[in-house]
Amino acid sequence: MANARRTSLGKSLSYRGREGMWTWILHRVTGLGILLFLIIHVLETATVIYFPEIYDRFLASYKTGLFRVAELVIFFSVLYHAVNGLRIVVQDFWPFVMKRQRQLVWATAAVVVLAMIPITWIMMAPIFGLAEEPGAARHAQRCMENPEAPACLDASHDATVVAGEVAL
Amino acid sequence: MSAPAQVAERGAARKGGGYRRPSGKGGNFEVYSWFFMRISGLVLIFLALYHLVWWNLVIGVEHLDSQVVIARWNNPFWRLFNVALVLFAMLHGLNGARYSIEDYIRRPGLQVAVKSLVYTVVLGAMVVAVFALVTFDPATLINR
Repeated sequence: MANARRTSLGKSLSYRGREGMWTWILHRVTGLGILLFLIIHVLETATVIYFPEIYDRFLASYKTGLFRVAELVIFFSVLYHAVNGLRIVVQDFWPFVMKRQRQLVWATAAVVVLAMIPITWIMMAPIFGLAEEPGAARHAQRCMENPEAPACLDASHDATVVAGEVAL
Repeated sequence: MSAPAQVAERGAARKGGGYRRPSGKGGNFEVYSWFFMRISGLVLIFLALYHLVWWNLVIGVEHLDSQVVIARWNNPFWRLFNVALVLFAMLHGLNGARYSIEDYIRRPGLQVAVKSLVYTVVLGAMVVAVFALVTFDPATLINR
């Protein structure tokens, strides 16, 4: 028992458990990461009802490239946890698929990677001015109807649109 | 890994091999926990992924503000959706955290301390979130 506890991290990770070990580790890490984010996220969102000004100040501070990377990491974590969790459920309820468990792991990886390609583009391209922010048309419509909305007043918002207007 | 003391207990030997489930204290909690993780996990695939796609890819985090959220919450369906999302996600996450704590923190006193802290924080955040959603009153907020 004492020996098991003293196994170093490096030694544990050099254990050759192959695909099953790595999916298990990533399932744990993403799960704990999501839980930590979730605690912060629900507390911050709960302020919207009684302290909407505080909520808007929270959001304004999130609108940076660094937070966008964090949001992408969270999206990946939830997507991986969902697809890998589905694989675990399928293996538990239909044990005969265990004969093909290695292929199922690679199918999981393929689904996650393929889905992450457009998601990464949609979320990250606007940061580099390569595309509009997702939902830009809907947002422009709302700001025409209600220019005083907090997200419409934010100066740092839609820097690419502002830069485009200056160029014109 | 050698088995820790609390895993060593098992039921009487079965005739055809293996062992019966240990009887007495604890009951079937771990079986229900196993089922809950699968059921809540399947529900969360839809709730959580819809939530992420809607706010990150359709609305855009850049366009979020208190008015967008309040407009969404004016619809009781979306408040119910969020209550379900918070409850399933928090309980699924809390049980997952329990698995990790029991795996890595073996000293009984420390394990109880860490569990108490994690349970308090997670359940506290869950109560705050559900309270906010349930006490939300469109009548008092709609003109804000």
